Amino acid sequence: MRDLFRFLFRQRNNLLFLALMGVSVSLLINGNMHQRAQAISSSNAVIGQIYAWRNEVNEFTDLRAVNRQLAMALAAERNRRHTLPQQDTVQTIADSARRYSFITAQVINSTTHKERNYITLGSGSLAGIAPDMGVIGMGGLVGIVRDVSPHFALVTSILGNEFRTSVQLKRTGHFGLLGWDTSDPRTASLIDVANHVPVALGDTVVTRGNDGVFPPGVPVGVVIAVNNDPGSNFHDIRVRLGEDLTRTAYVHVVADLLKAERDSLEAMPALP
Amino acid sequence: MINTVRNHVLSFLLLVLLQAVVLDHLDLANGWVVPYLYVLFLISLPFDTPPWATLVLGFVLGMAMDFFSSTPGMHASACVVMAYARLWMLRILAPRDGYDYTRRPVVQHMGLTWYMTYAGVLVLLHHLWLFFVEVYRFDDFLSTFLRSLMSATATLILCLLAQALTSRESRPR
Repeated sequence: MRDLFRFLFRQRNNLLFLALMGVSVSLLINGNMHQRAQAISSSNAVIGQIYAWRNEVNEFTDLRAVNRQLAMALAAERNRRHTLPQQDTVQTIADSARRYSFITAQVINSTTHKERNYITLGSGSLAGIAPDMGVIGMGGLVGIVRDVSPHFALVTSILGNEFRTSVQLKRTGHFGLLGWDTSDPRTASLIDVANHVPVALGDTVVTRGNDGVFPPGVPVGVVIAVNNDPGSNFHDIRVRLGEDLTRTAYVHVVADLLKAERDSLEAMPALP
Repeated sequence: MINTVRNHVLSFLLLVLLQAVVLDHLDLANGWVVPYLYVLFLISLPFDTPPWATLVLGFVLGMAMDFFSSTPGMHASACVVMAYARLWMLRILAPRDGYDYTRRPVVQHMGLTWYMTYAGVLVLLHHLWLFFVEVYRFDDFLSTFLRSLMSATATLILCLLAQALTSRESRPR
């Protein structure tokens, strides 16, 4: 027994190393597996406040670009209201107006050059933001809310090597998956589009909207390159993202008003 | 003693804030160079820091960074690896008659060759761990390796710069 204690005492640093390593590696694995069950994130109140201060300083340097974005968004909205819409468009807009509500939030911190990027928003659960809501910018997709605190929200950016979302080619109607494996914050990849689909440069990519996160038809980007690997049955498509995530300052968080209803329906056990 | 502790607490806070507020947002060479200067805190702990304290401080430092970058365990594990490696490096690089505890592991006290070997190995180890955990796969081995190498170089240059800027208070006593 005494030998055991002496051994443990001699090895105390190695044991401490193993213990700390065990804790951090288990955090690492849990954090990646169950993204919901974790408190270590920048939606934490103290960290959020520090990022909010940082953003107050940075805001001044970005005012010009933000002004231009807002002016362009306003112009687009005016255009939409003043052109006579066709019957079915009215239907869709009225339909989506009832189904989705949009919460405006300010981006207070974001990175774009890491393997997985996160965005911190300056609004949280008090503004109605909840996990799993979609986030869209003035030009297109931004990400999905992962964590919220009363005043802040943490968003998984679409610039991440594990992000996948279902999208659609607007012209042909074919579905595909959008992923980010280009390590360039301005472009992303579109995969799982079969070889027979006639993809052309300049085709618009929009969200499919079947996941209860994003509404259908939100612009994502434009096809800028199509590579055909002879050994593969699928196109390898590069998309230029509509949203410049390196400059995003304001975003809309999408609340799907029918999500609870849909989830409870889908969660019903299948009867034999 | 109290002074040393206060200085290290201050440098801890300063380095973590500097990393989170400024350095994490630098976009150098399209994401190929991301300096992680905050590890300078671990590198410049005094020679007579007890081993358990080095390990615990490494863990705490990593967790602080994890809170800022929303990456549970990533920085913490990298820093614990680095703290453990520091114990070995100090043993390997020890002068024949032991360390002079009035000196600290900075360039001005230990000379450039000693410092670059010591800090270079630690920083490279930390960055390799960090970047490979961040990517979470081995298929782009070469590009991840190059990224760590380039970022480690940038971190070392920043370490030297930071020490040159604060050198007045760190002459040998």
